[in-house]
Amino acid sequence: MPDVWANLSPTLQDILLTLALLTPGLIAGALVVRGLHPLPLVGAMLRRFTWVNLLFVALIAVSVGVAVGLLAQERGLRQGSARAAEKFDLIVAAPGSEVTAMLAAVYLQPSDMALITGAQYAEIAGADGVAFAAPIAFGDSHLGAPVVGTTADFVTYLAGPLAEGRMFATAEEAVAGAFSPIAVGQVFSPAHGTGPEAEHEAHADDGYTVTGRMVPTGSPWDRALLDPVEGVWQVHGLANGHPPGDARIGPPFAPDLMPGTPAVLVHATKLWANYALKSQFTRGDLMAFFPGTVLSRLHGLMRDVRSAMSLMAVLTQGLVTLSVLTGLMILVRLIARSLALLRAIGAPLRFVFAVVWTYSATLIGAGAGLGLALGLVTARVISAVITARTDVLVTASLSWPEVHLVAGFVSLTLILALLPGWLTVRRPLLADLRN
Amino acid sequence: MPPLPAPDVTPPALHIEALQVTGRDGQVLLQVPLLDIPAGQSVALRGASGAGKSTLLHVMSGLVRPSAGRVVWGNRDIVPLSEDARAAFRRQTLGLIFQDCHLFEELSAHGNAALISTFAPRITRASLREHAKTWLNTLGLRQTGTRPVSSFSGGERQRIAVARALAASPPVILADEPTAALDRANADTLGSDLVRLASKGGCSLIAVTHDATLAALMTRQITLADGKIVEDSHA
Repeated sequence: MPDVWANLSPTLQDILLTLALLTPGLIAGALVVRGLHPLPLVGAMLRRFTWVNLLFVALIAVSVGVAVGLLAQERGLRQGSARAAEKFDLIVAAPGSEVTAMLAAVYLQPSDMALITGAQYAEIAGADGVAFAAPIAFGDSHLGAPVVGTTADFVTYLAGPLAEGRMFATAEEAVAGAFSPIAVGQVFSPAHGTGPEAEHEAHADDGYTVTGRMVPTGSPWDRALLDPVEGVWQVHGLANGHPPGDARIGPPFAPDLMPGTPAVLVHATKLWANYALKSQFTRGDLMAFFPGTVLSRLHGLMRDVRSAMSLMAVLTQGLVTLSVLTGLMILVRLIARSLALLRAIGAPLRFVFAVVWTYSATLIGAGAGLGLALGLVTARVISAVITARTDVLVTASLSWPEVHLVAGFVSLTLILALLPGWLTVRRPLLADLRN
Repeated sequence: MPPLPAPDVTPPALHIEALQVTGRDGQVLLQVPLLDIPAGQSVALRGASGAGKSTLLHVMSGLVRPSAGRVVWGNRDIVPLSEDARAAFRRQTLGLIFQDCHLFEELSAHGNAALISTFAPRITRASLREHAKTWLNTLGLRQTGTRPVSSFSGGERQRIAVARALAASPPVILADEPTAALDRANADTLGSDLVRLASKGGCSLIAVTHDATLAALMTRQITLADGKIVEDSHA
């Protein structure tokens, strides 16, 4: 049996799990309404207290939406951050915190890092299996966008062919990220540093001309301005990695003329070579790491938070379920007189029971359906906010875990909705009729 | 006008014996040693408020279970029946009319008159709806079948309630103050309609009423006081 299950496609497994979760509630419903026709009366009851019913549906929808939105959002953030790090195979930096280095080199978060020397860079770039080794020199900014010195190889590797214009060809040219706040053809002078402490006049005499624009990558690099690393060294008054008079840009760099770089992105010729290179450059004076692994460790650390969030979502749904049950009992009291009339004129108890259950099921179903839609909207709004704040493209969408959560919630509440029906047929008929 | 639907079964006679209804505090609310109402009779239950008229009517309909005694319709004692069985009895035998109509406000006049069709066996639903329409027409509510009942006058609403009680062509009609909420003209019209239709259809009609005009139309008048029958007169 486990083999049969394992051999099914994931989608089929999810569909079957959804059906399995829904089955208890649907079976209960089928048994309750079998052979009966309660819908006309249920429609009348829904119309009778339209606003109360709508409010009840809205309460279910909001609670389901929040739970669904949280789950979808958490997954979207995880996937978005992983997608942003996809192109960063192997990072080599001076020894320190891998997390700090990853946040700085991959997510362009401002940070002070020790530099890799020219000799170390030459050793990395010249190692067996290295397709290219791109210096990543950050620290400057323009209008809040990070200005990063690197190589043309890296730009092409990161984003593919440019969406507009051409690649930088001199140390005074730059390529803009897809959403960076500057147009092709414009000239800008970088500020020294980032954020409120940035010194805007520090490099006022130097400028870059934007020659092209990258396609979107879904990473913070979409807001960055990328220029040849030689340009970064030059505006800081340093040697530019090449002999004087040599206007060439890009590697190889003369080790003694290279001022250093905080990080180097290494792209290997073969996938397996990454592991050898990581091993080779994990040593006392260098630190090599896979950003994907570090990110995975971070996500692993956050797993507890995720579990707590999932537990909270389930607990919330449990509380909501109890609230729904309480609410249903209150709502049923509103329609108690109509139900008593049905009993008085001879409706079978099973029919009255079916009316109450169908009424409850309609509210629950409508609330859950609306909640799914609301969850999607919530997740998308939060995603947009996070994307705007971190530049990591977070695309949250509904997936099977949310569908399973809602299916379980609906099934459970449909079963619990039997309780108001049971209580209704036990209510004192005459008292309800007189009230 | 199409012929009025006749009762599906012969009206059963009612035999009540050693009936006692007590309240929660043990106080005796109703005590009827013996009461027989032959099939097809129209009976007015009269008396002051709190005399026990409505309680007697509710016992007759099985809405109240007495603490002692027998309530035999035809040859069937409804006292020991389960609630579902009593509901089935009401469904098959009784047409109930309440003082304040008890209508589903969001349903049309026809939807209310045909309410019983919502829980009737599938095979009888269409004919019940047709009967309801016929009774609405008979009671002067032609062309109003699809209007929400919230827009109807008090007299019209009570006529809808009567149509609902008659829709299943019951052999017995039990009415609790059917004209109490109506003005004189409407009360007279409804009262005479009710007695006429019951008589024409061969139904038994038992009505609690303070309305002397309606009571005068009945063939028998039973007066209660302090939970006991104090007078039983035939016209």
